[in-house]
Amino acid sequence: MADSTMTMTDGDAASETGSGAEVAARSSDGVRSPRFVGGVLLLVLVAMWVAGWFSGTTAEEMLSLTVWGVMLGGIIALGGIGLTLCYGVLKFPNFAHGEFLTLGAYITYGSILVLPQTNPIWRFSFGWELLLGMVLAIIITAVVAIVLDKLLYRRLRMHGSPLVLLAMASLGMEFLLRGIVYLIWGSNYHFYYSGRANPAMDFPFGVRVQADQLFVFALAFILVVALYWMLTRTRMGKAMRATADNPDLAQVRGINTERVIAWTWAIGAGLAAVGGVMYGLASQMRPDMGFLLLLPLFAAVIMGGIGSAWGALVGAIIIGVAMQLTSAFLNPTYGPAVAFTLMVLVLLMRPQGLFAQN
Amino acid sequence: MPLLEVDSVTAGYGDTEILRGLSMVVHENEIVSIIGPNGAGKSTLMKTVFGLLHPRQGSITFNGKDISRTAPYDIVLQGMCYVPQVANVFTTLTVEENLQMGAFPLGKADLSESKDRVYAMFPKLRQRRRQLAGKMSGGERQQVAMGSALMLNPRLLLLDEPTAALSPKLVDEIFERIASIRNTGIAILMVEQNARQSLMMADRGYVLANGENRHEGTGREMLDNPEVGRLYLGG
Repeated sequence: MADSTMTMTDGDAASETGSGAEVAARSSDGVRSPRFVGGVLLLVLVAMWVAGWFSGTTAEEMLSLTVWGVMLGGIIALGGIGLTLCYGVLKFPNFAHGEFLTLGAYITYGSILVLPQTNPIWRFSFGWELLLGMVLAIIITAVVAIVLDKLLYRRLRMHGSPLVLLAMASLGMEFLLRGIVYLIWGSNYHFYYSGRANPAMDFPFGVRVQADQLFVFALAFILVVALYWMLTRTRMGKAMRATADNPDLAQVRGINTERVIAWTWAIGAGLAAVGGVMYGLASQMRPDMGFLLLLPLFAAVIMGGIGSAWGALVGAIIIGVAMQLTSAFLNPTYGPAVAFTLMVLVLLMRPQGLFAQN
Repeated sequence: MPLLEVDSVTAGYGDTEILRGLSMVVHENEIVSIIGPNGAGKSTLMKTVFGLLHPRQGSITFNGKDISRTAPYDIVLQGMCYVPQVANVFTTLTVEENLQMGAFPLGKADLSESKDRVYAMFPKLRQRRRQLAGKMSGGERQQVAMGSALMLNPRLLLLDEPTAALSPKLVDEIFERIASIRNTGIAILMVEQNARQSLMMADRGYVLANGENRHEGTGREMLDNPEVGRLYLGG
């Protein structure tokens, strides 16, 4: 970046060293266009596909991995959108956001243990009690987020604390919430329904997908569309965008920004809770799941352009697919490393992220 | 009874006192212009009147009610709207969304009448209503900002340097708008760098210096006052 801006200020030197054409492909501040970055990302994903194929995985299996990656992307998107909304309105990265996923998953688990169990719905592995538990989890997690804001973040905000202090406070809150999950549910892994089969269904081109995975993707898709509708069509959604755009002006226009902030927490935490349940359904529940997911979450949000809900969705799907594709030839524990490598790649070409507004 | 009465107000940030016992009034349907050197406290006065900053001493009365401790979102509902000097539109929202945000306190009420009223005043905005405010020129943004503030049909409009950084032609256009806004029965309190032009159209003016009002009078009196002319109007 640095030398490209230098060559921009010194045009003659640039053409002499032969980098003139390269400089011309960049905008005046040395930043690549979203289309260019998207093209590079597509090439990287294709390369991963080919690498998986050469390492002995069949094309059908690679196709299945791609589809699963889109579903993992849906889960990351549900967490990432809350993170990016929070950042947009409150301007600090909420490191405790991963714990909303954990809470959502465990509250649903707790509900299933006490609720009467119905037969599995359709070909899913779960019955109605999981859906009811998920609704409870959304409500409780949203309330927890609002209470945390009133107890902690709001006080810091009112004092005019620097944003780094808010970020550190959220990191502390992350450890506290994780500790509470350990205290209540222990450190063992849990399944919603241990031992219940969830056979894969066959689709064209040899793609094999479990009914639960379809559910995960459909729900994530519906929620993202609903959120998009909320942000662009409803009064509160527009007020959220207005507050994120310019909080001082929002106050001047008569918007009660504290109420907007409460709604932002509720929506962000509620979506994260669903993401946590989906993750628990797709793999298993563990007390550190939220913390582990926080890394790909941040990678997706920063890659997409922090503050942009649309960017979080696109970033999440790219990262979800990349993490699944590389699992064909890399140990899956390298997943977060793959996510961060892609993020760094995007930032090198476009420091503000794919869909950044500024 | 004046519409707005600022009575010996002291206000500032942290340890710095910017307004020092300032008093002024705005009457119903009147244009009042505030001029003064940089750092005199003009913008601070606007913010204090609007409740973004609370006075340490003194009182602010609007429409017969004390608003010294009232939050901006309540002040807006009482009929006072404010157009800040900079960053006065939501750049990532469309023109129409900006106007809707101007009427946010009305809840789910039908806004089409208010929108039609504002579009009649600023016809260009109707053509551009789906455009992002951030993609518009300075003069157009100023129209969006004023239009948003007029959505609630306020009784008093605060304008903080509405013509700052605009070309002379656009300055004339904005001043014409301000006159036509007043003709709809709205009182205007404005801070202006184009001091001479603003005093020509104002009913009354105040000169602020060091957080106090130095001079006050009708627009004509201010323009004719040799001291005001020499010190604040550039001779």
